Formats: sequence, C-alpha cells, structure tokens
Amino acid sequence: MAKAFKRKGGRFVARLDDDEREVVAGLLEQTRQLLAPPYREPTGDPFDDLVARLGLPRLSELADDAPQLPRDPALERLLPSAHRDDPALAAEFRRLTEHGLREGKAANLATAISALQDADGDKVRLDQEQAEAMVVALTDVRLLLGERLGLRTDEDADALQDRLDAAAEDDPQLYLAAYYNFLTWLQESLIQALMA
Amino acid sequence: MSIAPAELSRAEIAQDLSLDRPWITLVWNDPVNLMSYVTYVFQTYFGYSREKAEKLMLDVHQKGRAVVSNGSREKMERDTEALQGFGLWATLRKDD
Repeated sequence: MAKAFKRKGGRFVARLDDDEREVVAGLLEQTRQLLAPPYREPTGDPFDDLVARLGLPRLSELADDAPQLPRDPALERLLPSAHRDDPALAAEFRRLTEHGLREGKAANLATAISALQDADGDKVRLDQEQAEAMVVALTDVRLLLGERLGLRTDEDADALQDRLDAAAEDDPQLYLAAYYNFLTWLQESLIQALMA
Repeated sequence: MSIAPAELSRAEIAQDLSLDRPWITLVWNDPVNLMSYVTYVFQTYFGYSREKAEKLMLDVHQKGRAVVSNGSREKMERDTEALQGFGLWATLRKDD
C-alpha cells in the first residue's frame, strides 16, 4: 500500500512497493524517451556535426524537400507553441529553445528514475534537488498521459471518471487512467511537502 | 550578426517605433496541471508571495489565462522558456 510523500527533516519520503516503483519508473522512462533530443548519426562533416550537437538543424535538413517526421501530438502540449498568433515567431522560438527544453526535461526525468531505483526497500527518499526534479518529471508524465486520455479541457477531466465507469474491463484507457490518478495523488503529496 | 537590409518595409518601421511597448508572458489553463503545482511554480520561479501566486493561479483557472510577467521581449522569452520547462502552457506576445 503506497504512502504519499512527507517531509522528514530535509528529506521527502514516500513508500512505494516494487510494482508501484516499477510502473512509475516505466512511465517516467517512456516520457524521457519521447522528450530526449533525437540522436543524430554523425555525418563526418565537422561543421554539420557541430551544428547537430548544438541541437540546431543541419543545412541539409533545412531544405524544402527535407523529410518532415510527423510530431507526436503529446509533444505539442509538452513543448507548446510560444506565440499563438505568429507562426514565424513561434518557429523561431522553437528553433532556439526546443533542444534545451528537451535536454532539461530528459535530465529531470532521468534524476527521478534513478531516485526510484535507489529506493531503500519500499522507502523512496529524495533530497531537495531530487524532489524538485521529481515534481517536474511527474508533471511531464501526467501531461503525456492526459494527452493520451484526450484531456483537453477541464470538462474532459471532470468527465473522466464517468467515462471510466462506462468503459469495458479490458479497455486500455482504464490502465492509463489508473496510472494518471495514482501519479496525480503522488504529485500532490510532493507539492504539499515542498511548499510546507 | 547579420547584414542590415537595404530598406525597411512599412511594417518593420512601425514595429521599430513600438519598441518601448512591453511584452507579456501568459499562462493558459489546462486540465492536467494541479492548482497547487501552478502556485508552487509561480512562487519558485518568480519568487512571488504565496498570496500573489495563488491569485494568478486562480485567474488562470477561472479566466482561462493570466498575465504572469511583463518586460522586454528577451526577458519574456526567458520566462516563457522556463515556465514551459516546468510544464506550464506559457506563451508570450507584445502587450496591446
């Protein structure tokens, strides 16, 4: 039986059993994989490779006929357009910030995963820095699950329980929703502990 | 560094004249982020008091959005990037 986060001295402590830690770490890892900046094979051209390591598009990728991979819709929520009414400014902002945002989010998620893996039995103990990374990592996981559950408005979120009550037993959305609710509960406890 | 254009369009001149108009950072309501978390982010990132952070959070929740900071375009870009890093739905635009 899971126990929510509580502040104990300078630490944030929760109790999660093996299955719970495995599920949470698995969801954090899936989110990390979606967000981590895509690895690009070195081309051998020193300039192109330097540009790629900085997270900027290579010249060859800027060509009009360069292949455009479809973006996962969850990425639109995790890395939203920063200018609502100006696609050119939005594209410029994305070009300058997306790589760094992805790296920062991936690093937070990695910190949260290691903290779960370092649990002492069922006891998950976080220092201040790990707690701050965990609370952001849980946000990104919940944004991803929320997108998969089709939560776009407050009304969607309110209606989630009714939708689940009506769902068939083997509906995969039931699992997603159960994970989502568990992570919401866990995150709320960590926020309260951080703000206490 | 870049090369100055030979001539400016009317729109660019108009934009230059309005350089002193401040930019704003907005946070939009979403169904996933917790009210407590949004308050926590406003306090942590901006250093706002609990009271001010809660008021802004309630504006986001009830009115659908709130202006959370204003200033130069560069500063608003940094704020937007940081808030998106926290997972908030942040955008920026010139104030009108």
